[in-house]
Amino acid sequence: MKKRIACMALAGLMTVSMFAGCGSDSKSSSGNSGTSAEGDVEKPDKIKVMYDGTVFTKENGQDQFKKRWEELTGIKLEITQPDHDAYYDVLGQTFASGPDNWPDVVLLDPTYYAGYAKEGALWDMSDAWENSDLKASGRINNEELIDNLYIDGKLYGFATGRGNGCATYVKQKWLDNCNLEVPTTYEEYINMLKTFKEGDPDGNGVDGDTYGVSTAGLIGEEIPYVNYLPEFYQDAYPSFYQKEDGTWVDGFTEDSMKEAIERIRDAYQAGYIDKESLTNGTNDCRNKFYEDKFGVFTYWAGTWATNLKTNLKANNRDDQLVAIPPIKETGKYLERRPPVFAITAACKNPEGVFKYFIENMLDGGDMQILWTYGVEGTHWSTKAETVCGNTYEEGQFHMLESMEKPGTQYTKNNIDPMLSIGDFKEKDPGADQIAPEAQDSQEMFNENSKLAPNFVSTDEMGQYNGDLTTLKNTIIANVVTQGSSIEDEYKRFKDEGGADWSKQIVDSLNKLNKESK
Amino acid sequence: MSKSKTAAGAPKKSWSDTKSKIYKYRGFYLMFLPVLIFTILFHYLPMFGIGYAFTEYHGINKPEFVGLENFRKMFAAPGFWTAFWNTLKLSIVKLILNTGAAVLISLLLNEIKNTAFKKTTQTIIYLPHFMSWVVTASVFTLILSPSGEGLVNSLLVNLGVVQKGSEIYFMGSKKWWTPIFYIVNVWKDTGWGTIIFLATLSSISPELYEAATMDGAGRWNKMRYITLPALSNTIVTVLILNLAKVMNLFESVFVMQNDAVIKQSDVLQTYIYTQTFNSGALPNYGYTTAVGIVKSLVGCVLVLVCNHLSKKTRGRGIV
Repeated sequence: MKKRIACMALAGLMTVSMFAGCGSDSKSSSGNSGTSAEGDVEKPDKIKVMYDGTVFTKENGQDQFKKRWEELTGIKLEITQPDHDAYYDVLGQTFASGPDNWPDVVLLDPTYYAGYAKEGALWDMSDAWENSDLKASGRINNEELIDNLYIDGKLYGFATGRGNGCATYVKQKWLDNCNLEVPTTYEEYINMLKTFKEGDPDGNGVDGDTYGVSTAGLIGEEIPYVNYLPEFYQDAYPSFYQKEDGTWVDGFTEDSMKEAIERIRDAYQAGYIDKESLTNGTNDCRNKFYEDKFGVFTYWAGTWATNLKTNLKANNRDDQLVAIPPIKETGKYLERRPPVFAITAACKNPEGVFKYFIENMLDGGDMQILWTYGVEGTHWSTKAETVCGNTYEEGQFHMLESMEKPGTQYTKNNIDPMLSIGDFKEKDPGADQIAPEAQDSQEMFNENSKLAPNFVSTDEMGQYNGDLTTLKNTIIANVVTQGSSIEDEYKRFKDEGGADWSKQIVDSLNKLNKESK
Repeated sequence: MSKSKTAAGAPKKSWSDTKSKIYKYRGFYLMFLPVLIFTILFHYLPMFGIGYAFTEYHGINKPEFVGLENFRKMFAAPGFWTAFWNTLKLSIVKLILNTGAAVLISLLLNEIKNTAFKKTTQTIIYLPHFMSWVVTASVFTLILSPSGEGLVNSLLVNLGVVQKGSEIYFMGSKKWWTPIFYIVNVWKDTGWGTIIFLATLSSISPELYEAATMDGAGRWNKMRYITLPALSNTIVTVLILNLAKVMNLFESVFVMQNDAVIKQSDVLQTYIYTQTFNSGALPNYGYTTAVGIVKSLVGCVLVLVCNHLSKKTRGRGIV
């Protein structure tokens, strides 16, 4: 009898656990509300949003963020925030599960933005933006950024800030120890790497135990691909871009690309570039940088300047870094296109969602503070206190200790204050707490960068670009690390179909270009 | 279900007999029911999704029927065949090495008389199985680093096998990547395999060994004529069951792969992954379903062929 009861109890438990994850409120959100609306725009009851780890996660006060957002708007906010690395997997599954399950707002990177727009999954917000109070406010300091988001004359997503990019940091102490100045040309840059490799730039009395530069991969996995080795790639671009006359070409087939690969090869073979660059992750590079293994690191501009400095200091290394302007041959650093917030085509009240969610993010006041710095008392404060060893006076704006990584302070929420395209109505409350090195590197980058080529998707791109990209990356790796000749590898590019795939994609892009005119 | 027996005098089973048996063991059937429902819902019902393989479907608009176009694209892609053969080669060799190593280590462990030492050794050996592949790859990248801190290269330099400054970049070498892959897999998974074989070894009657001793058999002959034949069933079962998973190779390759060794390392799953995320377009679920079907069919064929061979050589299979 006891055995039977136990069996039935176990069976019941298994049944319940099997269905525990099922069922959710799949009713579409943002229904019309009985609350007051501004003008002709209905205020939604609820807004469903899906975004990745670039907004505060559960471990970092998401609940407080949500509560504050609802206080400011009077609208219920339903957040879906998958694990950062699995975001696009989950997003794809959500879209595939049918419009009834689509959130109202999604965060998309440039590739997915173009793809979902092409499929008709996104709402055209052109009119909403053109007629918005935000546009009319005059507080947008970079309208060109929004203009660049138009696809075939329509706007499907909104970016609150620039995409940022990588700038080259050099250890000042290493330059001083080697009696070098900041390089301005490729020749000076290579000479600097040579000296860092062969000399004793770290001053430990041993020559040749360091190298010049390290990178996470010889070529990046996403646009702009070349951001970690800009001095070597210079004006070469390994993928598709439009020339000034609007014609699409594949940069990999151009002579500039061959020359770039040869430059990387020569430096790699000479030992100026970290031998493990092929297998490094960004974490590996950063750790080696903190351990004084190398002296030049091309990494994200802005707040990363502070992170690098802080970690060098924590490792008892000299923490003086100089973010150098691009060398003459590079011209400009490449800035990636920003991620966008888009409204899905299943949203029942897209105008309301645009006004109360997207436009509100840059309201110049409390909501913009929430999206930029987080919640008072959770992420930032103005109380007199000591946080992570830093003492603040009463009224002095400062970020609080991170809940996920104790011992470090928060730097921002989703909107980077140095990249934001919307000015605050009054002074940015957190402007003074931005570290000078972050400010300097960001300003230098902003003044010396240009937008990476746009990404456009075609059927041929979908069919061939996967194999083509693999082939291109293999060729670069073979020439640089395996000693293959560039002529042999480019012949292989042709023999294995790369030239043909490239041409088909280029033709399809030019055809699309012609049709859209 | 009832069976009629042709032998005279044998009782004929009726539906009422079956019903009374089900009622008698209803507790167990009740326990089994959730598993059955789960298997039907999540393993059999999704098979209707096979239809997507004949469509172009990006997850937004309705699937567009394209016939065999996905299969044509797949078989025409040069990367596909490299990935296909790599999958078979890497998986099968890995399986043989892992099984062989597991058998060998089980035999050695079985010889240990001190129980505490035996259990400790066994625990240490199968602990790597619980490490994630990401951590495993990071650890071995450090150990095999071509820099001065790499353990293996430091050893080789100190022994004079390799000159300082000419350290071997194992993970980035076309020649070394594959052997390193096998070594890492054996290190990680062999211990787990020993559990099954040790269980089998412990069930061998000691009287057989005593009789062999009386007949003058040494350790080697005992192993050859008693231990290995007793293990053979388990070895074949493990091999056949693991053959079905041969086409699913992904994680171990993905974390160790890099651009220089694509030709040696790309397998079907990593190929599809890069196709999906490097193409610049939204994933085509129709295409990935088509690849999944081909993968499953190959796995199924491998299992059936091996089972057939087993029946031919040993008189019995497991399916």
